Amino acid sequence: MEGCMKERKRVYPMEPWKIMQPSFAAKYVGYLVPALTNIGKRASPSVDRCIDTEKIVRYEIDMALALSAEGFAWSHALKHKLRPNVDNHNHAGKSQSYLAHDDDHRNTMPVNHEPATKKLKVDTKRSETEAAEEERLTYLRKLIPGGSGEMMVDDEILLIELGSYVSCLELQVNVLRSMLQFN
Amino acid sequence: MNRALPEMLPCSDMTVLQRQRARLKWQAEQFQQQSYFCELSGVFTSQNVHVQGFQQGGLVSGGGDSVLSNMEMTRQLKPDPGLEAAWPELGKVDMGFGSCGYGNGPSFDMNHAISRTSSCPPAVAAAAVEVKGNSEKMGSAVGRESFKKRKVEKLQNSKVVAEDESKRIKASEEEEEESKITGPNTNKITNHKKENSGDTSKDNSKVSEVQKPDYIHVRARRGQATDSHSLAERVRREKISERMKYLQDLVPGCNKITGKAGMLDEIINYVQSLQRQVEFLSMKLATVNPRLDFNIDNLYAKEEFPSCTTNFPTVGMAPEMANHSPYLQFNPIQQVVSGCGVEMGMNSSDMALRRTISAPVSIPDASFLNTTCFTGPQQQIQPSAPWEVELQNLYNVAFTDTIDASDLKMEM
Repeated sequence: MEGCMKERKRVYPMEPWKIMQPSFAAKYVGYLVPALTNIGKRASPSVDRCIDTEKIVRYEIDMALALSAEGFAWSHALKHKLRPNVDNHNHAGKSQSYLAHDDDHRNTMPVNHEPATKKLKVDTKRSETEAAEEERLTYLRKLIPGGSGEMMVDDEILLIELGSYVSCLELQVNVLRSMLQFN
Repeated sequence: MNRALPEMLPCSDMTVLQRQRARLKWQAEQFQQQSYFCELSGVFTSQNVHVQGFQQGGLVSGGGDSVLSNMEMTRQLKPDPGLEAAWPELGKVDMGFGSCGYGNGPSFDMNHAISRTSSCPPAVAAAAVEVKGNSEKMGSAVGRESFKKRKVEKLQNSKVVAEDESKRIKASEEEEEESKITGPNTNKITNHKKENSGDTSKDNSKVSEVQKPDYIHVRARRGQATDSHSLAERVRREKISERMKYLQDLVPGCNKITGKAGMLDEIINYVQSLQRQVEFLSMKLATVNPRLDFNIDNLYAKEEFPSCTTNFPTVGMAPEMANHSPYLQFNPIQQVVSGCGVEMGMNSSDMALRRTISAPVSIPDASFLNTTCFTGPQQQIQPSAPWEVELQNLYNVAFTDTIDASDLKMEM
């Protein structure tokens, strides 16, 4: 019986999200504020610094998100994207590559959100709708970190992860906005 | 019954419900025996575990969760005529059925007595195993929820089922004959049912999902295709629609959208907009960062967010007020500010925060605050004025959205 339990795949239920939510903001700020303070303390007022700072800040923001939302496939994937198990991580380098990766994702967004107008009318209406849905799901996979990975091959899991991801994004936006507001 | 019951308890727990069910099953059994035997023979060819699971109402030999396992008993009311097609093994195992089958018979739910277990055939079992793998990912809490629903339904259904039994037995028997290719007794009925089963399995099917490690029991409604693939597909689709509903609650403004594609569109848009916001805010943060002096009071303020995101302008203001005297003249918070004074220690900030939090701040007030903060006394916010107006616009525009999101979050 226990053996069967261990063989189970990792579960990403919705419920833990509700438990996690109150601590998300605390964790997020707890990570981000010191990180940003550290960035501020670094020297070198060079021009390139501005761009680097942006990237570093972006990196830290995403890292804060990944660390504040433990237990989800997307946060796991995000963490590994940001910090692929390298001990000494060069922030600028990593954030650069990360951003490049991210921009690719962003740029591949199909502008056309209308239901599969360009698709051929197939035999049944259902197939057409399914194709449209598939298209959107594929796109969603690109949006969510780790969506194309092995953990989220299943559509159900994708939707579960989407739920938590959307909630975390909202919280993140709130926190960032308030941080900016106070300063 | 005596010999069946011990068999029915390979694992430890047998809840009251299960016992009730067992009793009901036994009552129905006499009507069912024929169909049972036929069904169970098919079942028996599949994993033994499978059958036992059925017996228990879900006590899988894999152990699993006995609470959740009860869910496998579905709310099926009607037999699944299309099932015959999936019962090629029916003929084989009849004799092997014997006492075991009999023991398993009563294990079948009242509901299932009438309807065919769609997951019985080995083919389905295989698919069920697959589906199970997927279903494991559903939270157990979700399982428990549906279990409660189904519990009620099950008991209700059992009565209905009993009435219909006698009618359907005959039909089901005939259908079974059909599957054995012995020639249909009632062509009309079987043809009609087969026609229905030939339909896309998209129609409503009652599915019971069990959050067990081994497999999922699925019941198909009358007239639905019952081959393993369509069943597993149906289970999957139901789960997906459940998730979509959850997402619909999460994403603001999706209540009116009904199609899955439309919903996905909205989700895509929302995720993109959130990501864009994050990007924008991070850029802003980067520009502001060198001049920032993050202090712990801010940290405290943000800690309160989950509980009062709708109030956060106020909350944010309070510690700020405490630490920066120029901001003292913001009206809505004056009672807090005056209490705080100029030089605030950590405790005072906390108190201010709590007082602020307890005082409900409506959205118009928050907007007002925002306005006064950013467009009022310019001298205080001179250092950050250039980007503050921008931020205010963003804030005002997005705030209402955020409030909805916050409300949703708070409801969660």
